[in-house]
Order: sequence, then C-alpha cells, then structure tokens
Amino acid sequence: MIRLQNISFDHCIKCTVCTVYCPVARATHHFPGPKQSGPDTERLRIKSPELLDESLKYCTNCKRCEIACPSNVKIADIIQSSKWRYFKKSLRPRDFFLAHTDLMGSVATRASLLVNFFIKLPPVKLFLDLFFRIPSERRFPKYARGSFLAWYKKHRAEQEAFAERAVYFPGCYVNYNNHELGKDVVTVLNAMNIGVIVSYEKCCGVPLIANGYIDRARKNALLNINSLAASAAESGARIISASSSCSFALKHEYRNLLELDNSAIFDSLDYITRFIHERFLKGNLPELKPVRLRAAYHSPCHLERMGGVMNTIEVLKKIPGLDLTILHSECCGIAGTYGFKKEYYRVSQKVGAELFKRIERADPQIVITDCETCKWQIEMSTPYRVEHPVTVLARSIDGGKL
Amino acid sequence: MRYDCVIIGGGLSGLTCGIRLAETGASVAVISTGMSALHFSSGSIDLFGYNGEGRTVYRPFEFLDEFVGSNPRHPYALCGARQVREALFYFRGQLDLEGIELYNNDESNHFHVTTLGTLKPTFFSQRSVFNEKIRLAFEKKSMIAALNFEGYRDFYPELAVINLRRNVLFRNIEIITGKIVYPDYGDPQRNPFEYRSVDIARIFDTERYLEELAVQIRNAASGAAFAAMPAFLGISNFKRHHKLLQELTGLLIYEIPTLPPSILGMRIDNALKSRFASLGGVYIAGDTVTGGSISGERLESVVTENGGGSALSAGSFVLATGSFFSGGLVSEFSRVREPVLDLKVYSDAERSRWYAPEFFPRRGHPFLEYGVETDERLNPKTGDGRRVKNLYCTGALLPYYNPIKEGSGGGVAVSTGYRAAELILEGNS
Ligand SMILES: Cc1cc2nc3c(=O)[nH]c(=O)nc-3n(C[C@H](O)[C@H](O)[C@H](O)COP(=O)(O)OP(=O)(O)OC[C@H]3O[C@@H](n4cnc5c(N)ncnc54)[C@H](O)[C@@H]3O)c2cc1C
Ligand code: SF4
Ligand code: SF4
Repeated sequence: MIRLQNISFDHCIKCTVCTVYCPVARATHHFPGPKQSGPDTERLRIKSPELLDESLKYCTNCKRCEIACPSNVKIADIIQSSKWRYFKKSLRPRDFFLAHTDLMGSVATRASLLVNFFIKLPPVKLFLDLFFRIPSERRFPKYARGSFLAWYKKHRAEQEAFAERAVYFPGCYVNYNNHELGKDVVTVLNAMNIGVIVSYEKCCGVPLIANGYIDRARKNALLNINSLAASAAESGARIISASSSCSFALKHEYRNLLELDNSAIFDSLDYITRFIHERFLKGNLPELKPVRLRAAYHSPCHLERMGGVMNTIEVLKKIPGLDLTILHSECCGIAGTYGFKKEYYRVSQKVGAELFKRIERADPQIVITDCETCKWQIEMSTPYRVEHPVTVLARSIDGGKL
Repeated sequence: MRYDCVIIGGGLSGLTCGIRLAETGASVAVISTGMSALHFSSGSIDLFGYNGEGRTVYRPFEFLDEFVGSNPRHPYALCGARQVREALFYFRGQLDLEGIELYNNDESNHFHVTTLGTLKPTFFSQRSVFNEKIRLAFEKKSMIAALNFEGYRDFYPELAVINLRRNVLFRNIEIITGKIVYPDYGDPQRNPFEYRSVDIARIFDTERYLEELAVQIRNAASGAAFAAMPAFLGISNFKRHHKLLQELTGLLIYEIPTLPPSILGMRIDNALKSRFASLGGVYIAGDTVTGGSISGERLESVVTENGGGSALSAGSFVLATGSFFSGGLVSEFSRVREPVLDLKVYSDAERSRWYAPEFFPRRGHPFLEYGVETDERLNPKTGDGRRVKNLYCTGALLPYYNPIKEGSGGGVAVSTGYRAAELILEGNS
C-alpha cells in the first residue's frame, strides 16, 4: 500500500546530486548510492518486496543526501524504513547487543572494571571477531562505574532550587560511559544560573532503529516523549540533550521515521549548544577563563542535518584562548553501530579517511565534536583526543585542566 | 539569533550577495534547502545570448546599453548596465581568489559546446572551455577529437558530432570520435547506472591514472589538436589535472558540460561556498525557510523547518530562492505563488497561457517570465500590497526576463545578487 503522506520519492527529478554527496557511495561501489537505493527502487519495492536489493544495507543514515537534494526527497528515511520493513529482523546476538545500549549499559556498569579489562584482551577480541563478527580492530568505549542517574540523585535537591531550570536528557553514553560529560553540562548550566532536571526514561532509540528493532524503538520513543513532556510541563522548561544523535532522534526520527506524534516536545527540545548560544546572545554569558588550546572542530552528520552546527561554533568562539580550526564537513564513517560490524568496518574506515587526513593536517592539541560515536571513531583512527564542546566550555568556566 | 543580513537561498545569486556583504565585515547567514541550479548548469556564466528575434548577440554589453532603456522592468534594467558590468567582473575576481579562472572573449560572447553538440553563446567560461589558445586553434580550423569513457552513458560523441557538423562554424573542420577506458573499469561496472561524471571526476582527483590516460587520449585523438571530453577532470584539483594532461598529451583538453550533476557547475558552487565561509559567512544547509513575520514595512524575522520555533532576525533579508525548479515559486492549479512570504507575483491568471504548446518554443515559455514583482530597489510587496523595505529579491525568482530565450540566467543571478548587496550597504551607510 502506498501511504499518501510518504511519497516524497515521487518528487525525485533523477538529478543524482544526492549520490554526489553520499560518503558511502564514494567509498564503495558496492553501494549504488542514495538515488538508486532510495527513490529509484522504492517504487519497485512497493510493487513487489522481492525486488529488494541487499545493497541498501550499506547506507549509514548519515542524511547527507537529504541535505543535498534540491527536491526535498526524504531519501535516507526511505532507505531506513525499507530496511526494517522488508528485511527479516536480524537474529544475530551481536545486533541485539549493539542495539540494546541501555540493557548492556546497566549490566556492564555493575562490573565496569572487569568488562573494560576483558574487552581489551586479544583473545576476547578474537572471539568477538570470529563468533560475533565485531572487528578486532574496533576499540570499545569504556564503561563507567555506576550510572549518571545515581550521581544525579544525590544532587537533585540543589538543582531543583534554581529559579530557572532545564530538562536534560543524558542518553546512554552519559549514563553508562561518560558521567563526566553529564557533570560538565551541570557545571555549565549552573554557571548560567540554570538548574538541571534530569529526565531519562529509555535509550533514545538510534541503535534500535539502525538494527531494525522498530517496535522496541517505538515503545522507547513513546515513553521518552511522555516523560520529557511531563518534566518540561512541570518546570515550564526547555528540554536539552548534549548528544547530537539523541537530539536528532527525539526531534526528527520520532516524527519522520517512527511516524509518532512528538509535538509535545518538538518545539521545546534543543540540542544543547543552541540553548546555550541563545542565552549567550541574551547576555547570560558566564565568566570564562582562557583555555590556551589549539583545537579542530568536526561537525557530526546529524547536527548538520538539524542545522545546529553554527550554534556550536558560535559558543566555542566565545571561549578565550581557544584557537579553533573548523574542519571541512566530512562524515567520520562510524555511523553509530555500523562501524562495529565486521562487514562494514572497511567501508566505515574508508569513509572516515578524508576526515582523519584533514585532522592530521590541522594537527590540533584536541579535536572537538558533539557526537559520542564520532569521538570513538576519531580517537581510534587518529592519535588525537576528542572532547565535547560542553566539556571545553566547562573547563573554561571552572579553570580545570583539559 | 540575529544577523546583519539573512539570505534565503544559497545559489549563484544568494552566494554572490552573501560574499559581497560578508566582505565588508557584516554578519551574514545563508540558508538553503538543497543544492542549487549550479549543479545543473554548464558552469559558464551567460550574460545575454539571444536578442528578441532569437538571433545571437555578439557584444552583450553594447547590446545591454540599449536594451535596458526599452525594457525598464527587466532585472538588468533594475541594476543598470554599468552595475551589471561591475557585478560580473567582481564575481570573476572573487572566483579567482578561490583558484577558478573565468575567461571572456574581451567584450564579445564566445560559444560553448553542449552534450548534444549544439553551441551556446556565453560570457564567462572556465579555462578548459574557453581561452585564447582554444580560440586560436579553432580559428585555424584544427582537427578535433570527441572522446568518451567507455561505460559513461551521459555523452554520445557520435551524436554530438552529427550536430556539430551541421553548424556553419564547424564547416571544414575535421572531427573524429574515440574511446578511452579506465584502467580499473571493472569495479564501477557493478553499478553501471551510477557511473556518472562524479565517479570519473573522483578517479581523476586521485591522480593515479593520469599518465596511462594521457597515453590513451593521445592515441585516440590520433593527430587532432583538441581532445574534447565530457567535463570530469576532477572537482577539487582540476586546474592541476588539466595542466598536467595538456602537458602529457600535447593536446588542448576541452571540457563539455555534462548532464547533471555538472562538474563544471559544482566547481563554481564549491568556490563560492568556500569564499563565503572564508569571509566568516554562515552557510546553513538542508533547512527550509517556512515563513516570516512582517510588521509595518519591515520583515523582522524568519522561521525555518529545523529551527523549532526559534526565529532568525536580521536588519535586512534577501530572497534568492530561485524559480519553480528550486521551489522559489510554486504553481497551484490556478495561480503561481511565492511560498515563503506569499509575496505579490507577476503571472497570468489563465493557466493555459502559462506555457507554449511546443517543448522548445522560439518565443520561450511564458511561465519562465513569472516571478516576484519588485520596485527598482528590488523590494517586493506583500499579497495585500504593502512594500517590504528591508527585503530584496534577486536571481531566478525575478520576473520580466526569460533566462532560456535570452541566455541570461547566470548574469541576472550574479548582477541582481550584487545589486541587492550594494543597496543594503548604501542603506547602512
Ligand atoms: C537546469 C538549469 C541549467 C542552467 N544552466 C545555466 C548555464 O549554463 N549558464 C547560465 O548562465 N545560467 C544557467 N541557468 C540559469 C541560471 O544558472 C540560474 O538561473 C541561476 O543559477 C539561478 O540562481 P539563483 O541563485 O537565483 O537560484 P537557484 O540556483 O535556483 O538557487 C535557489 C536556492 O534556494 C533554495 N531555496 C528555495 N526555497 C527555499 C526556502 N524556502 N528556504 C531555503 N532555501 C530555499 C534552493 O534549494 C536553491 O538552493 C540554468 C538554470 C537551470 C534551471
Ligand atoms: S538529489 Fe533528490 S531529486 Fe536528485 S536524484 Fe537524489 S533524490 Fe532525486
Ligand atoms: S544517508 Fe548517508 S549513507 Fe545513506 S544514502 Fe544518504 S548520504 Fe548515503
């Protein structure tokens, strides 16, 4: 059946501009590119699902094709929804583990030292490679001890005491892997006289969508929409996320891909640098100490798609002593869980090669980016450390070392 | 968020305007839904190619001097002939800074060859399309080899040659055709439908096969002075490849603009964006302006699809959203509409008069002359007739000219974009 609301493939004028800007089509000829995998073959799939072509699994959902398309075709959405509509659900344990980040996180954080130790051992890596098809070259992000939520509980009262508050969605990465980033968000907002109300029901759903667990993703999405809307209504606050991919999912994927009504949070939800930048412009600029650092900024694909890059750049420009090179916009190649799969690992690294080259040419002391998976990819593939813009801002506020 | 100027539409016109403004230190943001008409264009900038009778115009500036007097509503008349010249040479200077040299035939038009082998009069072209050496070799009636890469489906040299031979300018010129094969053709063959100009340009950009290709080109050209090939000598480093390939082959390498995506057009797009960014301009890609708030005679702010309710405000705004093709104008069943602010549009109420019955009518299709009506300061009016004084309309969005019939699209986009910037700067000082 053709749903009338989703026939943007019909607006395609076959100009191939999307394919020009697709980083995967550039890296491998096994992927025919967005035009062919999206609008061209969607009409065939609608007629007969047997005409499905495996090659569309190569798409990383980076959305660069949609940014380029002059006819506003929702190319990546077409490809993503075809993936889960027509392919049988993957029964691979690997895909299950990669998709369920919150489940994995809540187990792993209980024994983080052990997990972090084991996952680095060569025999374990070999085992994962052979039996799970997770490439042994891939480095895993470390798990933290306990959860960010547990830390937050101890500080909730002081945060609720602020007159102005913002609802913060930390996401799995902050909750299970990097509590420090969550604390940096608190440092920055507190310095701006804003309290942080943490609301975290479930994983935003990005890895679930990427691995075809759509029902689960929808369930998570509904829970998140409701809990975020409720927290925001209570304090009349804006909702923020410091992960570009979580923000993108909450705002756009829920609506366009999962076809859910997220209007209760749509207008009040911001990626964090938009929120901060708007307040800077209104004069709420905390006192900033010089950081004396040469940094290169990489803009993640999903932040590009949301049009949020300029906010991050403007916020970073306010930090005294930060010598900033803006890297040419390129995909890093990891695309969430994509780069964790053996069958895509090579393509993933080839996509990122151009970015890695540019980083090396800029030769910064650190790289700054808004996305946690970009961070893993860059830290694994180059010798540079990667920090979140909010972390850099927090160090400029508290004078701590970067 | 607040800027000195927000430009809606990042094509030839919006970017020219943005560069001129950013150069003065103004804070400028360009918002653009998707890639612009440059990805479809020849990469040559047309100024005025054909007169009212459809005859070729040889000296376009001379022609303009008279033309603007008798066509006061034409975009060129709104700029004035002198400013059109100023704009075009300013544009050339800016591209030069980004390493793209544009060549003109002095005060005259020159021709570029299309994929079908027809000739188009134009004013500025890239080095591989027009320069002094090409002109001299052509005047000497040197032999031409039209070459193609095997497997590339967007160019048929045999077809192009049939058309060229029909042209009086090519009388007594020997034209042969030939083929070259990519050393690793095996891989792209998996998806022959996607073997487009960019795929080939990217292989050129690696420079791996340049020497092998040079040998092939020399053999295929067997004694010709020109090797004419579809334009795919690379996107980022084409100047270097062009020079190297000419040295290695001893031939003049001529580029023919291809079907979209057009590499020649993309080079200009890249150069303009890079120039704009280096002047501190902010380019917001992939977002659509959906409306704005007008109070009194001023547009205060605009909202975008991704903005989530937060508005972009500015001292002045430029609407450079292009024509129907780019979504600057939309046709409903019984009217033509400007979708962002519902500005007053010049068109015909009777749908059957929008187009001519033939596909390529001599007098052009009327709809190409529709657009947002403005006064001489490029200010439009709202649907209910109020003038908006800090909003300037430029480029393909404007009415009273026909880019195809006149061969004037690029020139109008550049000069009205430049004109808007000058008007904004005048107003500020
Ligand atoms: C197919 C084709 C080939 C051409 N070839 C040539 C040629 O070879 N030589 C020549 O001189 N001229 C050529 N022209 C004419 C000339 O190039 C164009 O008229 C000129 O490029 C128009 O520039 P522009 O900036 O006015 O509009 P466009 O290039 O159309 O750019 C408009 C931009 O605005 C964006 N936009 C639209 N609505 C919105 C919105 N609501 N919010 C945000 N962004 C929006 C669009 O995505 C687009 O990027 C050609 C035109 C076409 C259509
Ligand atoms: S860019 Fe858009 S219109 Fe062009 S081929 Fe791709 S989907 Fe179709
Ligand atoms: S989403 Fe990214 S990888 Fe997928 S088709 Fe579009 S550009 Fe290519």
